[in-house]
Amino acid sequence: MPTKEFEELKEALREAPTAEARKAAAEAMNRFLAAHPAKKSRPTLVSLGYKKTYPQAIPLDKVSDELAKNPEFFELMGRIVK
Amino acid sequence: MPTVVLMSDFDLPTRSASGFMLRYIAPRVEPVQLFGMLVRRLPFQLTAPQSDIIIGCGHGDVDAFTGQNEAVILEIGKYSPREVKGKVIKLISCQCGIALCPDLVKNGAACAMGYTDDYVWVMDADLASTPWSDKIAATSLIPVVDGINALLDGKTAQEAFDIELEGYSRNAEVEEDELVKACLEFNWDNAVLLGNPEARARARLRITFPLPPPPPLLMPVA
Repeated sequence: MPTKEFEELKEALREAPTAEARKAAAEAMNRFLAAHPAKKSRPTLVSLGYKKTYPQAIPLDKVSDELAKNPEFFELMGRIVK
Repeated sequence: MPTVVLMSDFDLPTRSASGFMLRYIAPRVEPVQLFGMLVRRLPFQLTAPQSDIIIGCGHGDVDAFTGQNEAVILEIGKYSPREVKGKVIKLISCQCGIALCPDLVKNGAACAMGYTDDYVWVMDADLASTPWSDKIAATSLIPVVDGINALLDGKTAQEAFDIELEGYSRNAEVEEDELVKACLEFNWDNAVLLGNPEARARARLRITFPLPPPPPLLMPVA
């Protein structure tokens, strides 16, 4: 059963990647992470992308910063968290 | 007939993915295993034509698969068909399933397996020197290992592909972390098998006893 915070994150990521939507998604991500503290010492979201505008490794606590500033990463997260 | 295993190792994602290959795949295959600085175009060009299976771990996009420090290994229009002809190819990389894998099959690969979007997972950066011990990364990477081991057992590409997909589903079902679960489902959705689903590589010796892990990887990664 998905948590309320995850549902809110999903909703926020369904929007078009405007500056406001990205900010809202970043806040939703922060709420999700606050409600689900990491069990691992330095959890990092990684991908094997090439020539991307977003970093290939983003510590989970920095994912919201990237969401807020990068439309391409916002769209990727929208595809992952659907 | 050698196995070509390409294991890039220069940043966290390549360290994590190649770490699992090093731990679980490399011990059971004969050379040529290209690790770190050896994952470049020339060593690949020299070794690929003799192999019957190519396993690649590195960054990629729609039309290119890269090795160490993103040196291009395979790019549409820039490789010789004899490097891929008749081979079973597995690329653990982003988006190669969109155009590169179809191109490999068009150029004679028996089959090519890849992903049509980014290949994503959550890893523990504190375990970069022993990436194979990272349980959170294992949820995504052990299904890949299981699929490759099935290929090395002589199973068909379709059987190996199904084993990988079943691994994602099984792990997603029991995963409590919603982000990790979303990554597993995302990778499941994007995995593709192109070419002949009945293609198979020569069966390799199966190791039935537990092997000790490799020594820690001490080279720092970006």
